[in-house]
Amino acid sequence: MKIVAVTACPSGVAHTYMSAEALERAAKAKGITIKVETQGSIGIENRLTVEEIMEADMVILTKDIGIKEEERFNGKKIVRVGVSDAVKKADQIIEKIEAHLNSKK
Amino acid sequence: MGDLKVILKDTRKHLMTGVSYMIPFVVAGGILLALSVLLTGKAGVPEKGMLKDLFFIGVAGFTLMIPILAGFIGFSIADRPAIAPAAIAAYVGNEMGAGFFGALIAGLLAGIVVHYLKKIKVPNVMKSIMPIFVIPIIGTFIVAGAMKWGIGGPIAALTASLTAWLQGMQSSSIILLAIIIGLMEAFDMGGPVNKVAYAFVIMTISQGIYNIAGISAVGVCVPPIGMGLATLLAPKKYSGEEREAGKAALLMGCIGITEGAIPFAAADPLKVIPSIMVGAAAGCTSAALFGVTNMAAWGGLIVLPVITGKIGFVISIAIGATVTALMVNALKKIKVVGAEDTSKKSASEEIELSFED
Repeated sequence: MKIVAVTACPSGVAHTYMSAEALERAAKAKGITIKVETQGSIGIENRLTVEEIMEADMVILTKDIGIKEEERFNGKKIVRVGVSDAVKKADQIIEKIEAHLNSKK
Repeated sequence: MGDLKVILKDTRKHLMTGVSYMIPFVVAGGILLALSVLLTGKAGVPEKGMLKDLFFIGVAGFTLMIPILAGFIGFSIADRPAIAPAAIAAYVGNEMGAGFFGALIAGLLAGIVVHYLKKIKVPNVMKSIMPIFVIPIIGTFIVAGAMKWGIGGPIAALTASLTAWLQGMQSSSIILLAIIIGLMEAFDMGGPVNKVAYAFVIMTISQGIYNIAGISAVGVCVPPIGMGLATLLAPKKYSGEEREAGKAALLMGCIGITEGAIPFAAADPLKVIPSIMVGAAAGCTSAALFGVTNMAAWGGLIVLPVITGKIGFVISIAIGATVTALMVNALKKIKVVGAEDTSKKSASEEIELSFED
């Protein structure tokens, strides 16, 4: 199972990176491959490649502020989460995504 | 009409996107402006030389924040073509006194107008001139026109009365406002509720009111500094990880990043969140009583140079942090049978996910 994610928060200094870390930890704990692109106030870092997006089974996007270049994800399975929720409930989010994808098999 | 509903459903996201692009303008403008006043050595606008120029650099930052806010709200809704109509309309509105609210409305209106303008079908030869010629001209005419000849006046009146109310606030109401700001800023530590309080602070700065920003500067740093202090006062109550997080939180608090308190809140929300809220409210109230003012839209010890009432500011942070630390450590002493399990469960209230696929 492969997940990609983009995180962005209004001030772009804290929640952006904390949520990225939380999601990475949660996915790794379950052995799920994940790559998280951050869109902080410094700009886009750890940019997702076209292949990574193509191969992803699920895309996580934070919904607090607009995501830059969202068109890259047209046609993909997307789930939107609040950036605060991603920080505090990353395990739950990954669990639910896993359940959703497994139920669709 | 379906389109309009989709746009308005995401209003909060659009406004926050605008705010997020605007923040550096407010911070840079505010700090440089305040620095120039500070270095003048007396309370007032610098009169000559480099300091006067620095003052105007700061003012430039402030002036630009209004069109930038609107421009990027429009951008969030309808992408690049919306930036110009939104920014121009907001600037026009600001000249009329419409300020922050004018910017919000200009941004939303421009986004919506441009969204529909983009849908107009034109023959292929005309397609390339739409985004750089037709849409900016017509979009700006409609939105800035609406501002100048229609809604600008009422918004300016609203802004003026709100400003007058804030300026004339009696000491008891300022304290109530301070408490609310402290509670909101601590509640979700940099999350949506905190950001609403923050947007309110930016609005007051844009209207030349600086005591609210002073109060807010204390509120945003009490949660992380308080929790850091708590780990220092009672290290045995915290895990090794938390003690490390405590050091990081102290640092984050000094630069005004409320998020430093999040790891503690996630681990023990029922005891941490009330403690940081009460501590922040206490610190904010103290700042209100001291009459701390702040021209920068940021908080923590890092803005100390541009604070008036520095001693009061530091004392307020100390009060707030101490209240938080004592309260959370006292609460942690209370061991209810089975509380260990329930605190973990209540931390994970069910999160609703909807999948778009």
